[in-house]
Amino acid sequence: MQTWNYVEYLAWGLSILLGLYMVVDWLRTDTTYSEEVLTSSREGELEAMTEETFKG
Amino acid sequence: MADFDITSKEQDGMGPHGTKVGLLRVLGPAHVWALGVGIVLVGEYMGWNFAVGKGGAYAALLACWFAGILYTCVAMIDSEVTSTVAAAGGQYTQAKHIVGPLMAFNVGLYLVFAYTMLEAANAITAGYLVSVVATMTGYSGALDQRPFIVLVIMFLAWLNYRGVLATLTFNLIITAIAFVAIITIFLSTSGLLGGGIMQHAALFEGHELPYGWIGVLASMHFGLWYYLGIEGTTQAAEEVRSPARALPFGTLAGIMTLLIAATLTWYVCSGVLPWEFLGDGVNGSVAPLFDTARLSGSNALVWLLGIGTLFATLASANGCINDASRAWFAMGRDKYLPAWFGAVHPKYRTPYRSIVFLVPIALIFALGAPLDQVITFSILSGLLEYTFMPLNIILFRKKWPMGVIKRGYEHPFHPIPAITLLALCSITFFAVFLGYGTQLVAMIGFYIVVSLWFHFWRYRFVDRGAQFTMPWPRPHGY
Amino acid sequence: MAHYKPPVQSKVSQLIDVIVLVTLTVGALFVPLWLHMAGSSKTVASPVATPTWEALGQNAAQAKQYEALGYTPESAHDLILARFDYSFTVSALVVMIVVIVAYYVLMLRFSEVEYRDVIAEKFDEK
Repeated sequence: MQTWNYVEYLAWGLSILLGLYMVVDWLRTDTTYSEEVLTSSREGELEAMTEETFKG
Repeated sequence: MADFDITSKEQDGMGPHGTKVGLLRVLGPAHVWALGVGIVLVGEYMGWNFAVGKGGAYAALLACWFAGILYTCVAMIDSEVTSTVAAAGGQYTQAKHIVGPLMAFNVGLYLVFAYTMLEAANAITAGYLVSVVATMTGYSGALDQRPFIVLVIMFLAWLNYRGVLATLTFNLIITAIAFVAIITIFLSTSGLLGGGIMQHAALFEGHELPYGWIGVLASMHFGLWYYLGIEGTTQAAEEVRSPARALPFGTLAGIMTLLIAATLTWYVCSGVLPWEFLGDGVNGSVAPLFDTARLSGSNALVWLLGIGTLFATLASANGCINDASRAWFAMGRDKYLPAWFGAVHPKYRTPYRSIVFLVPIALIFALGAPLDQVITFSILSGLLEYTFMPLNIILFRKKWPMGVIKRGYEHPFHPIPAITLLALCSITFFAVFLGYGTQLVAMIGFYIVVSLWFHFWRYRFVDRGAQFTMPWPRPHGY
Repeated sequence: MAHYKPPVQSKVSQLIDVIVLVTLTVGALFVPLWLHMAGSSKTVASPVATPTWEALGQNAAQAKQYEALGYTPESAHDLILARFDYSFTVSALVVMIVVIVAYYVLMLRFSEVEYRDVIAEKFDEK
């Protein structure tokens, strides 16, 4: 059965494509946006907000 | 009111601390259930049967129930703490607020390792399944499993990279199918509908407890595998629309689902497969539910359980990528790890650098180590984490007694669950010692070394006061 | 207590930290494997010379399931008879207990020291 050998190659090919997609998008994102924007996420946003609403 | 605007387009809805790009709050309780159960359900499709090999079928059932108690305690404790400390990173963030930074660093690593190893184990199993399908469809050569292992990891990493809602909706669907498959095989083989093929009494005859009672202790090691990962629901905390309600609900519904699924799985498999075959997950039954379906004589069941096994491995690997990357991301954000990892993708709103970074790590484990080793490392990291939980809840109740802060859920009978959990963890440590003592010591040696590294080097880059982000009063006794 | 201002970490230093961590991780998994100290293997204590289902301790129902799975008494011999060895020495057990307890004690003590710093800075500097 030859089919399964093609399936193997297909799996390799798809893996490489998906990997490339992530790497390309990652590099493009890193060059488009500034580091401050990308790493601006802070923990506990929701808690701070609800708490301040309570104090209102 | 403070200077933030919930409808702001620039500030991501909530910006008292200045988040411009944060994780997206889009998930509901069903997604939490899918994340928790999705990670774990693969444990019923493969791996739990090593417990049968360790002590026989009855020992595996006892281990299943004792591990069930262990995880019920875990779920109760976790629900209380996480409904109060709702942030990505889950137990890591809890430890940071309740026990201290070094503990938090260790817990973060437990999480990342438990999930990344589990992801590797899933990918290995998925690769094996593809090779079984190839053989069943008449392929005679030896199929190279590596491309399929790589593809599973790549595809799921890509899915995770692209956004959390699609990722967990995908998980919800395939987890539900895998769960229905277990119910179906139970109904159609147990005799409840039509003729049953169960013969527990005849199969157990002469092999009730092949190792005696020590076998029951030993099987606790793999008994954890029935439920390992349910605590991962907390990782979604920052992406759930209302964490204080959805997390306890999703987690407790998840553990109930798993208790049912685990017992049914044991019943079906042990009633059809002889224990020596069932208990050997390498040379005997790699996928016990699938093997049970093969002996049922029904082609439909074979396909259903084959698909169920594949879906369960995918759901689990998918959830693991989600959880491991959240924990890694949270540590990066606090500079416990290089700050570079604390980035969020501006379009997809995922911790994309953490997701990409963990791909090669998972590949190393999936392609380089045997299945039972990978599983053992995953279990060990989990076990260290469960040992931390009772310490965590006891300190939590001591530093912030009931009524001092608002808790989304309060678990009953404190401190009985904490003490029970600690006792069961000790038993499991002994069980691991019986089979894998070297790994246990190697693993703890590793954690001691990285702890020293963290305390004496890495911690200098961490902001002291700023890492405590919960709006709580000063803890008692400080 | 003075407000602690962490140094800014350079890109190279960040990279080195990651490499250190990955090396330690991979080491913890693979060193026991390379030293062949990993895992518990099963061994057949007393092989049966001419295996039949009865000699392997299987009743009719058990034998039938093995045949349905495609086994013969010969091919199932190792699978059925192999057993784990659960014997251990007390000293090994003591070593394990000491290592685990020492680990948690070490971690809790260091954490406590760091935690007091965090609380002091968070609540005393307002």
